[in-house]
Amino acid sequence: MSRKLVFLLLALALVLAGCVPTATTPVPTVNPAITLTDGLKRSVTLPIPARRIVSLAPSNTEILYAVGAGAQVVGRDETSDYPVQASSLPTVGGYSGFNTEAIVALHPDLVLAAGINTPELVAALEKLGLTVYYLPNPATLDEMYTNLETVARLTGHDREAAALVDSLRKRVAAVDAKILPLNYGPTVYYEIDATDPSKPYTYGPGSFGDLLIQRAGANNVGSSLSGPFAQMSLEQLVVANPSIIILGDSNYGTTADSLKKRPGWEGLDAVKVSQIFPFDDNLVSRPGPRLVDGLEALAKMLHPGLFK
Amino acid sequence: MSRRNLPYLWTLLFLALAVTLSIAIGSVFIPPADLWRILAGSFSGATLPEPLKTFGFIIASIRLPRTVLVLLTGAALSGSGAAYQGLFRNPLADPYLIGVASGAGLGAVLAMSIQWPYSFWGLMAVPVASFVGALLTVFLVYALARVGKAVPTTNLILAGVAFSSFATALTSFLMLRSTGELRRAISWLLGGASQAGWGPVLTILPYLAVGLGILLLSGHTLNLLQFGDDQAQQLGLPVTRRRALILIAASLATAAAVSFSGIIGFVGLVVPHVMRLWFGADYRRLVPLSIIAGAGALLIADVISRSVLSPQEIPLGIVTALVGAPFFLWVLRRAKNQGFW
Repeated sequence: MSRKLVFLLLALALVLAGCVPTATTPVPTVNPAITLTDGLKRSVTLPIPARRIVSLAPSNTEILYAVGAGAQVVGRDETSDYPVQASSLPTVGGYSGFNTEAIVALHPDLVLAAGINTPELVAALEKLGLTVYYLPNPATLDEMYTNLETVARLTGHDREAAALVDSLRKRVAAVDAKILPLNYGPTVYYEIDATDPSKPYTYGPGSFGDLLIQRAGANNVGSSLSGPFAQMSLEQLVVANPSIIILGDSNYGTTADSLKKRPGWEGLDAVKVSQIFPFDDNLVSRPGPRLVDGLEALAKMLHPGLFK
Repeated sequence: MSRRNLPYLWTLLFLALAVTLSIAIGSVFIPPADLWRILAGSFSGATLPEPLKTFGFIIASIRLPRTVLVLLTGAALSGSGAAYQGLFRNPLADPYLIGVASGAGLGAVLAMSIQWPYSFWGLMAVPVASFVGALLTVFLVYALARVGKAVPTTNLILAGVAFSSFATALTSFLMLRSTGELRRAISWLLGGASQAGWGPVLTILPYLAVGLGILLLSGHTLNLLQFGDDQAQQLGLPVTRRRALILIAASLATAAAVSFSGIIGFVGLVVPHVMRLWFGADYRRLVPLSIIAGAGALLIADVISRSVLSPQEIPLGIVTALVGAPFFLWVLRRAKNQGFW
């Protein structure tokens, strides 16, 4: 083989080597697959953003609609009643158990579970070949924002979620700006359930109810108790002597009038001056974007002079 | 077919009907024609057309494993119930008499109060803890009831009732102290299959096979025990040893059944009584008939539990008592051989 030919071949090889990759490599695109680690430390992969979603908790349903994925939701748990459009979706079970059959029949490409669902349910659905993402229960507003971003990531709505989180942060900052300068705060008792009026339940440490009441510039009598859903005695309540009572159980028929009739409650300051307000408990009990609505509503209720 | 075998024919027909209903009825309506095509297709191995695939999947992966699990649970509870009633010569005896349910409940609620990692063994924590809790309770009660070498029946019942109250109180206390697990604990204590797939079936099968196998062979022993311990002893029966064997077998079957399905009441009490009212008190027939009819009865209860409020489910333990009690009272009033016990 002549030297010239070798040279020529080498040159050709170089040229080919130089141009073949550029000819076959496609224009670089973003891999649409999404891989995230969920609240049970499971790695969850979606090939593309989810298009048929079943929500297993009211908070999840609210998050899905808030980030703009409402049109992708095809099923819900029976307590998902917000926003109103969600109520028309088929239900797949709820308090007394979920129906795996009904979930499978909806052909979801994502089942969004929450902290209130059992790991057994997640395992059962996983075994049926469904993709399940377990959204952990947030403990702070920041963790709730993270959940919004996670759901947006799974459903292809990152941009909407970024805008949503931004506006939520601004609204919280606006409340903080008015509340933080205050150096006083009323003492508040938030009622979750007083079926037995001598031993009512209230929000304690670790609950959003407690967190938001404090952030709205008040002292929550439940803060000194143990556990997020704390039971307190009427004696403790009399000693704490709240000046404002919030009826989180107003959805279940409790009113200021019915509260005033309870024996032993007449000595409380809040009862004497009639500072008893009904409240939509869903605004503090569902760990979704409406927590910020709850914060604003509480701040307005507790400091009416500041929000006019 | 001889008259002797007629009861078997009836109960097996009932079981076949119950299995059919359990596969045909669910929260998703599958038209009978499609159901038939799916079943025929699964036998011939033909691939199903696309629209039927979901139905096929629901039947094969959801309804069939659940049907088999409920069938086995009903068989275990009812078979053990018949054996317990014979063993204690007490019409009020059911498989939970000496503490299986309360021990299992305590174990399960204890396991639920711990945050297990999401893994195979993390998910097995509740069934394993309830199984261990049930068996530990039975052994403890047996040891507490022992007087010298004998284990008097009365002692066994009283020790069982006392220990059950203790364990139930502890369970209630744990539930009140817990925050998030209350709902899970209540639904477990009221009974109902929570885990899907063939895993639970395969896990409990060996215990049921051994437990129910021993009970099926114990009919003659149970018949002899009806004469009283002394008489049975004189007839050559090693009473204490045989009684312990039956007790272990029945408890093993019950504990395994309860571990995945939760505490389902009433089946183990009532099905043996109905069988006794209809077909007589010969334990050589009563035990197998109770096993077959118990499986069918619990399947019917399960169909009701998942179809009445569909897509929600009513806990199985509620259905068995709600539907079972009126049925039993009806049978009791119509029975020709009153004073049968």
